[in-house]
Amino acid sequence: MTVTAQAVRRDAVRAPRRRRARLGPPWLFAVPALLVYALVVLYPAFSGAGSAFTDWSGVGAQRSFVGLDNFQQLFHDDQALGALRNTLLLTVAIVVVQNGIGLLLALGVHTGIKSRMVLRVIFFAPVVVSPVMVSFLWKYVYNPAPDAGLNAALGAIGLGGLRQDWLGNPSIALWSVAFTVIWQCAGYSMVIFLAGLEGVPAELHESAMVDGAGTVARFRHITWPLLAPAVTINLMLSTVGGLTLFTQIIAMTNGGPGYATDTLSTVLYKQAFVFGKFGYSTAVALVLAIFVAAVSFIQIGYLRSRETTA
Amino acid sequence: MAFDRSVSRRRLLQLAGGATLAGALSACGGSNGSSASGGTLKVIGAGSQEAGLRKALDDFKKANSGFDFNLSFSPADQLQTALRAQLAAGNAPDLHAVYPGNGSAMSMAQLSKANLLTDLSSQSWTQKIPTGFKGAFQNDGKTFIFSPGTSVLGAIYNKKAFATAGVEVPTTWSELLSACDKLKKKGIVPIALGAQTPWVTQLIDYALVPGTVYAKTPDFDDKMIAGNASFADSGWADAMDKYLELQKKGFFNDNPNGTTYEQATSMVGTGKAAMAVQVSAVLQAFRQASPTPDDLGMFPFPATDAAADNWIPGGVVVGIGINVKSKHAEQAKKFVEYCGQPDVVNAWAEAVACVPLYSEGDAKVDPVLKPFLPYLKDNKAVPFMDQRWPNAEVQPTHFAVVQELLGGKTTVPAALKKMDEAYRKSA
Repeated sequence: MTVTAQAVRRDAVRAPRRRRARLGPPWLFAVPALLVYALVVLYPAFSGAGSAFTDWSGVGAQRSFVGLDNFQQLFHDDQALGALRNTLLLTVAIVVVQNGIGLLLALGVHTGIKSRMVLRVIFFAPVVVSPVMVSFLWKYVYNPAPDAGLNAALGAIGLGGLRQDWLGNPSIALWSVAFTVIWQCAGYSMVIFLAGLEGVPAELHESAMVDGAGTVARFRHITWPLLAPAVTINLMLSTVGGLTLFTQIIAMTNGGPGYATDTLSTVLYKQAFVFGKFGYSTAVALVLAIFVAAVSFIQIGYLRSRETTA
Repeated sequence: MAFDRSVSRRRLLQLAGGATLAGALSACGGSNGSSASGGTLKVIGAGSQEAGLRKALDDFKKANSGFDFNLSFSPADQLQTALRAQLAAGNAPDLHAVYPGNGSAMSMAQLSKANLLTDLSSQSWTQKIPTGFKGAFQNDGKTFIFSPGTSVLGAIYNKKAFATAGVEVPTTWSELLSACDKLKKKGIVPIALGAQTPWVTQLIDYALVPGTVYAKTPDFDDKMIAGNASFADSGWADAMDKYLELQKKGFFNDNPNGTTYEQATSMVGTGKAAMAVQVSAVLQAFRQASPTPDDLGMFPFPATDAAADNWIPGGVVVGIGINVKSKHAEQAKKFVEYCGQPDVVNAWAEAVACVPLYSEGDAKVDPVLKPFLPYLKDNKAVPFMDQRWPNAEVQPTHFAVVQELLGGKTTVPAALKKMDEAYRKSA
């Protein structure tokens, strides 16, 4: 009896192993994409990672192994540390404001107003425009001349005192870039929140209304908990987007004035292509990748734990 | 039905390996095929050299029926990235823009050290390179680039704006301040500065430093290389103080850090601003921005009150080099040899408003550049400073600290300390 039970247990253990050893239909579907991903992303990433331990200039064959020198330099590099600070500030601003506005827009267009479909299209429209185009458009809007762009608009409504050198003043340039990103991406957050709102059962609201719950109470106790999956996705996407922000900065300020809008992404780009220090640049890229992955895992772990299913 | 059949991991890896190998083989085949089918020389030039390079290529094509080329241009900052990435990947064009001397990631010294440029030393024109300019063309005694000549740096000015304010071309620092004051009182921006465009930030320093540094210490670069001098303890501090004095007196347009090169160019072209400190290579852009191009002139930007100390910056303009991996190296060499002929050098130089590298007889020089010629003749011209900087980090650091100075975020000693730190980093 004992022997039979052990044999059954062995079979039970072996059976899943055999199943794991063979790839069923779901894996077959994924094979082409995984293959392309491995060739285009994983192979270059891992083969390039070795450069982080060399002094390669990015061109030519000359390179020497320098161990962890590039990583030590990174933690004593004022420019990189300033860029880290800017990256974190930008990320916090983008995550909080973009998702706040996205949620408000979603709640607004989820009501019964007649123009809600048109408004949804309008709010989402900036998302489909190339970030480079948006950057050049906003560079024009941020023209520092008093009779141009945003400054002209402020003057026209009697707020001339608020005119600024939006991209040229080191104290506000970072926030000008952040505003542009938020303007473009709030519609994206809105769509994800909207999908979440569509999934909230109307009966819950109806029964709560019967029980006398007001708008705020229903949002707090019904909508917000059921939006948790959408919040998780939005926060994670905007965090990763903020931490790796590059296009808008290069197109609008090139990291300036001075180092005022440099982020880790622009620093690694400049180190590789302007300073000719590919090895050091790869070290910055590796640290950035590990940092983004760590933040994402912690964030998603926390947010998943508070998700509620309807 | 087919999806019901499972595939073992080993089989999957075999399939993946086969697909990868097939991809790699097909890529190799494609590469060979394209190189065998095309005889066209692929060329990427610097935007500022377009008129001259295009004319030289067109003329060479007319004289050589079997020759053809595919030409494109790129602004300075994009050359750094696009071309550098192509060089790293081994698919750079046959002939491409290269910056003279050292000091940038796309400079002759940096690229030749990485064995990416073809040695041109055997070509006869290389013997005519003036001794003072050899450092811009040569590394370890070998010539790696061709360049048509030298560009000077000074003030491009609007004669009508000067006439409106009743000011003459200044020849000393004090006269410059006085002229700026009169222009400002007439409601004309004295100096247009588009410091949002990084490379523009350096130009006023470059215009002042020959007077504040090199007139007194002509071997300043050698002392810097030997570690016997620093930016912080040199006339660079005087130059930067003067740069900031112009800002404090309100002689620049409002918000220079938020103003682009194109906006500054337009301001001078239209007479809204009286002048801009610029290289002669961009004269054409200013002329295009002006309804009356003949109203534009150029003068050496004075740095001191002693006229004898007012030297000028004059550097070899961006040149061309041959990719050492070029499959059309012989064609490219023939074209460069052709470019080295004195009449071609003259035609190219004239097209981009620079002084020809050498000439037989009188060289044709844009009349606007005539005030600079005596300085070149008297050896009072200093190559653009970055051309002798040892690595590609000093110049971008200079851009950044000037923007910080204009934004009030740093001081002159702190700015120069950063430049010294960048200078002392390894090449």
